[in-house]
Formats: sequence, C-alpha cells, structure tokens
Amino acid sequence: MSAHDHADGHLPHEPEKATLEGRNKVLGFWLFLGAETVLFGTLFSAFLALRHNTGDGPTSQELFELPMVFAATMILLFSSLMSVFAVQAMHKNKVKPMLGWLLVTILLGLGFLGLEVYEFLNYIDEGHKMPTSAFSSSFYTLVGFHGAHVAFGILWIGLLILQVLKKGLTVVTAPKIYVSAIYWHFIDVVWVFIFTVVYLMGKVG
Amino acid sequence: MSSNHSAAGEEARRHKVEGPRKHIVAFVLSLALTLIAFAAVASGEINSQFTYIILIGMALVQVFVQLAFWMHMKDRGHLFPIMGIIFGVIVVFTMVIMASYWVWW
Repeated sequence: MSAHDHADGHLPHEPEKATLEGRNKVLGFWLFLGAETVLFGTLFSAFLALRHNTGDGPTSQELFELPMVFAATMILLFSSLMSVFAVQAMHKNKVKPMLGWLLVTILLGLGFLGLEVYEFLNYIDEGHKMPTSAFSSSFYTLVGFHGAHVAFGILWIGLLILQVLKKGLTVVTAPKIYVSAIYWHFIDVVWVFIFTVVYLMGKVG
Repeated sequence: MSSNHSAAGEEARRHKVEGPRKHIVAFVLSLALTLIAFAAVASGEINSQFTYIILIGMALVQVFVQLAFWMHMKDRGHLFPIMGIIFGVIVVFTMVIMASYWVWW
C-alpha cells in the first residue's frame, strides 16, 4: 500500500495519470479502441452490403420496432452518463459514491442486455434466425458482437468494483476505472451507429 | 511528454476538479440528437433520401460530442488517441464504401 500512496496520504489529482504505467495504460487502451473501430467497421460494412438480401425471411421494415430500440438507446445513454459521474467521483476521491455510480452503470447495462435478448427471441419467433438470410446473419453478427461487448463490460466493471472494495482507490486501481469508463463510452458510441445504420435506416428502407 | 513535466506539476497545484456541467451538456446534446433521429424516422413525413442525410448527420455529431467530452479527447495530451481513432475511421470508411458500392456494382 504505502508505495502507492501519496506522501500526505491523499491520492494525487487525476490519479489515473499519476504514474507512467497509468498513462501507458490509457494510451494502449486507445490503440486497442482504434483496432475495435476497425473490427466494428468490417461488421458494419458487411451489414451494409447485405442488408437488402433478405431472401425468404422478414425484411427490416417488418421486423424492427422503434419503441424497443428507443428504450435500449436511452438505457445505454443513461448508463454512459453514470460512468461519467463515477469518474468524476473518482477525481474527487469519493470512493463510495464512485462505486455506487459504477453499480448503477452495470445495472443499466444488464437492463440493456436483457432487452436485447428479449428482442432477439422475438425475432426468432418471427422467423428471423441466424441462417435465414444474408441480412439476418450480418444483423446478428453485428448487433450480437456489440451485445457481447456490453456483457464483457458488465463483467469487467463488476470485477473492478470488487477489486476497489478489496484494495481501495490507489494509483494502481484508478487507471483501470478510468479506462473501463472509456470502454463503456465506446460501447455507447458504437450503439449510436447501430441504432442509426441498422434500425433507423432499416426502418426507412 | 517529458518536456511539459514541470508544467504538469504547475497545473496540478492550480488544478480545480472538473465539474459535471460540461458532461450534462454533452448528455442533453446526445439526447436531443437521438430524439431528432428517431423523430425523423417515426414521423414518416420526410422522403427517405433526406432522412438518410439527417440520420448520418445526427450520428456523426453525437459521436463527436461523446468522443470530445465523455472520452476526454478535447483534453490536453490526447494526440495519440486522436491519431489512433482517425486511423481506425479511415480504414472503416474505406471498407464501408468498398462493401456498399463496389461489391454490388
């Protein structure tokens, strides 16, 4: 503990940038996000190329329901705001409020995931399965990949909460919180393109 | 990085904790842009070509707002993150244009 504590027992300002390791972690994470951008880009380009090839399956106009998509969008947007508040609490060295915001973040993430599972089950009932058409395959791959990222984020932030409970907020744990918040915002950024390109443009035709 | 080390120390002494105001503004902006996009489709009044333009425009602005404020890209010392994301975006745009125009030409 003592090696990581500040001389006067307080955390430095912006503890995520206080050590070289922390700064490198943030930089490395951004390089990872550049690669993630490319990964989602390939899935988006495949979806855009195949979205009209519905074969015998339902089309996007028949399938998508805007209220459900809107609810999912709002949940994720609020969740992103909650993780902003978590990082702000961290900057003020308020550990308990920070953990509270993180908990709300992952609870909203779970809500989003539950809604997505419900939505996929509905689609399967309507005959929109993974092998139905090129549209359905590229749809499930793209949206499912995003859902998997949400699930991973929930697991990751959940483990970080446990770690902070055990080790406290230090210059070692602070960069992890900061980086996980950036990851969560990135998931929201990807969702902005999904609700625009997949759902809204799908509804327009 | 190393050249502005002492400057960073200076700033830490004068450092004031960033308030939530900017982030709330970013949230309200995101909310408004989302509502405009959904309303444009839900109303069904606007022709599809124009709706596409609105949708893509709203998405790009919202992503810019979130990257700048929530992901701290407007803050100092984010040259490499900006380069990383720009590189990713260049690759993505190339792929999207290739897949949507070239494949089915």
